[in-house]
Amino acid sequence: MKKLLATILAIAFVFGLTACGGNSDGEISVFYYNFGDTYISSVRSAMDKIFEDAGLNYNNYDGNGNQTTQTEQVTTALAKGSRLLIVNVVDTGSNDAAQNIVNLAKEKDVPVIFFNRSVDESVVSSYDKCVFVGTDYEMAGHMQGEMIGKYLVENYDKVDLNGDGKISYVMFKGQEGNAEAIARTQYGVEDANKVLTEAGKPELVFYDAQNSNKYLVDQSGNWSSSAATDYMNTILSQYSEANKNMVELVIANNDDMALGAISALQGAGYNNGTGKTIPVFGVDVTDAAQTMIKEGKMVGSIKQDANGMASAITTICQNFLDGKETFDGIEEDNIVGTWRVNIPYSVYTGE
Amino acid sequence: MSAAIKRKGRLSARLEEFKAKSGADKRRAIVDLLFNNAMYIIIVIAIIYIAIQVPAFLSTSSIVNIISLTAAKLPIALGIGGAIVLTGTDISAGRCVGLTACISAALLQMTNYANKIFPELEVMPLWIVLLIVIAVGAAVGLVNGFFVAKFKLHPFIVTLSTQLIVYGLILMFLMIGSNNGQTLSGLDESYTNFVKGTLFRIDGVAVPKYVLYAIILTALMWLVWNKTKFGKNMFAVGSNEEAANVSGVNVFWTIVIVFVIAGAMYGITGFIEGARIASCSANTGLNYESDAIAACVIGGVSFVGGTGKISGIVIGVFLLQIIFVGLNFLSVDQNLLYVIKGMIILVACAIDMRKYLARK
Repeated sequence: MKKLLATILAIAFVFGLTACGGNSDGEISVFYYNFGDTYISSVRSAMDKIFEDAGLNYNNYDGNGNQTTQTEQVTTALAKGSRLLIVNVVDTGSNDAAQNIVNLAKEKDVPVIFFNRSVDESVVSSYDKCVFVGTDYEMAGHMQGEMIGKYLVENYDKVDLNGDGKISYVMFKGQEGNAEAIARTQYGVEDANKVLTEAGKPELVFYDAQNSNKYLVDQSGNWSSSAATDYMNTILSQYSEANKNMVELVIANNDDMALGAISALQGAGYNNGTGKTIPVFGVDVTDAAQTMIKEGKMVGSIKQDANGMASAITTICQNFLDGKETFDGIEEDNIVGTWRVNIPYSVYTGE
Repeated sequence: MSAAIKRKGRLSARLEEFKAKSGADKRRAIVDLLFNNAMYIIIVIAIIYIAIQVPAFLSTSSIVNIISLTAAKLPIALGIGGAIVLTGTDISAGRCVGLTACISAALLQMTNYANKIFPELEVMPLWIVLLIVIAVGAAVGLVNGFFVAKFKLHPFIVTLSTQLIVYGLILMFLMIGSNNGQTLSGLDESYTNFVKGTLFRIDGVAVPKYVLYAIILTALMWLVWNKTKFGKNMFAVGSNEEAANVSGVNVFWTIVIVFVIAGAMYGITGFIEGARIASCSANTGLNYESDAIAACVIGGVSFVGGTGKISGIVIGVFLLQIIFVGLNFLSVDQNLLYVIKGMIILVACAIDMRKYLARK
């Protein structure tokens, strides 16, 4: 009896769900690596809006940071009769996951658009109906580093609180083993040093000489503000202006971590908009960071253009569905070869 | 005066008892003593070692930092402790903190903040928001407790379910209006001051107000655990549910209330965490329960059920923060943190079981 009831409920539920979809065309399946990611959420809402306005039948899936989950979602969607896959792949560490998805789609002759999280050219080129819409992920780090370098050259003496002629910094890394985090951690400092050296200034110095990594990483791999807050509080308990070893610059892999660091700094009396401010730099230009920058509590961030990415993806999606040229309507400067579109980053300092 | 004499008497009596023992017994007594206080010994050794390497570890500002970090992580552990006393666990805790942190932040954004999730909303009075998040946390706790008590489901399963449900709610909550899943920030000053504001200064180092709240909550939970009938019932149910039932304890309500109190604690943690990190996203609170559970078992709240002390939980949380801060001061490779944490949990639980098996 119970089993029967459960079965009936389950069936009713499934019908209830599909009834909402209610379109005889196969769906466009969009796979996100994690609904919890702030930046990806803005891409998602931009894309949802475009699809809705165009009256297309689409469905979003949350991989929840797990490649197995995502691959299972892909097989399910294909079995359901999906006509196009848009994939924000979870596992960027190896080609296997992405290649697997390509193979599955190829079997059914369904186009695949990868986006945001990087996929190798070899994978994308292995299927003629496959493209990648991303960013030149190393650019974010380069641009952040350059922005920091320029800012420091202009404000050197103001930033150098203890007047020792060197700037001591801390770097917050979002996650171990993530290509973007690695690039941002490396270039954020390297490129800043390049600008400083050209201007005849000494290179940046990591605040803790004994730390050979030269970064502090979010142990949980979540690029989270709480990790940055805890680290920054701990740093501030040991390093201060009174001790003449204050951390003079904060670089974070993303804005959430930058904001976390600012929260700790505010507890110590810095970055309140007036008075002393430790320059803090992030990446993403989230709404929250934008406000911080406008209020003078943070210096700058690098913008990943969520709307630009969403519109590029949906344009290519429409091209596939209409049988047009793949890159029809995409700005030519952003196209790389036949396999990828790069959405440019931009610097944001509140101007 | 007389108390001092009595204590001295007891101590010398113990000493004589010890002297009277044979060689083998003496050795065993010493080993027992060492084992039973292993966590305190580890803490002391750790502190001494770190302080020798980096003297700044014992500076005022460093101590204040460790205490603040402990205070921030304490309420959630105090909540989970009750569930563990009942031989259960609660893995919905972290997400619950996340949801309540997001709600607190959303209701307490500055009026003129550009990206307000509820643009029409004036800044609400703090106490109303605090009550709301406590209620939200308690509601999740009520669901947990009800399913555990009514259907005899294992708390792991029940809280696994609510963990997922609550995460879904967080994602939906962050999508409200034009927020599009963005981080919630731009908190009103009344809120951040209430949580992060200066309680008092030691040597010019500001002690944040949430330290006081953690102390109040600890005292409150100590009273509940030790001085109320409910507390006694909780331990009775934890050590033997059937026996407790036979002796007239209302097992159903005891379980439900333990989870409701736990939920309320997560609500308070969320309220504090929201202002402490000042930017709340879907990631906020993720995996907080694992540290809280670790702190409880390190502090001797046993999964065997029916045993545990509030002081143990405080020690457990404190030890974890000592490790976190200490390894930072020592500039140790951070990957080691996982290894050390894991080993400490293992050792703590082994010692705990040793005590339990000896009693048996």
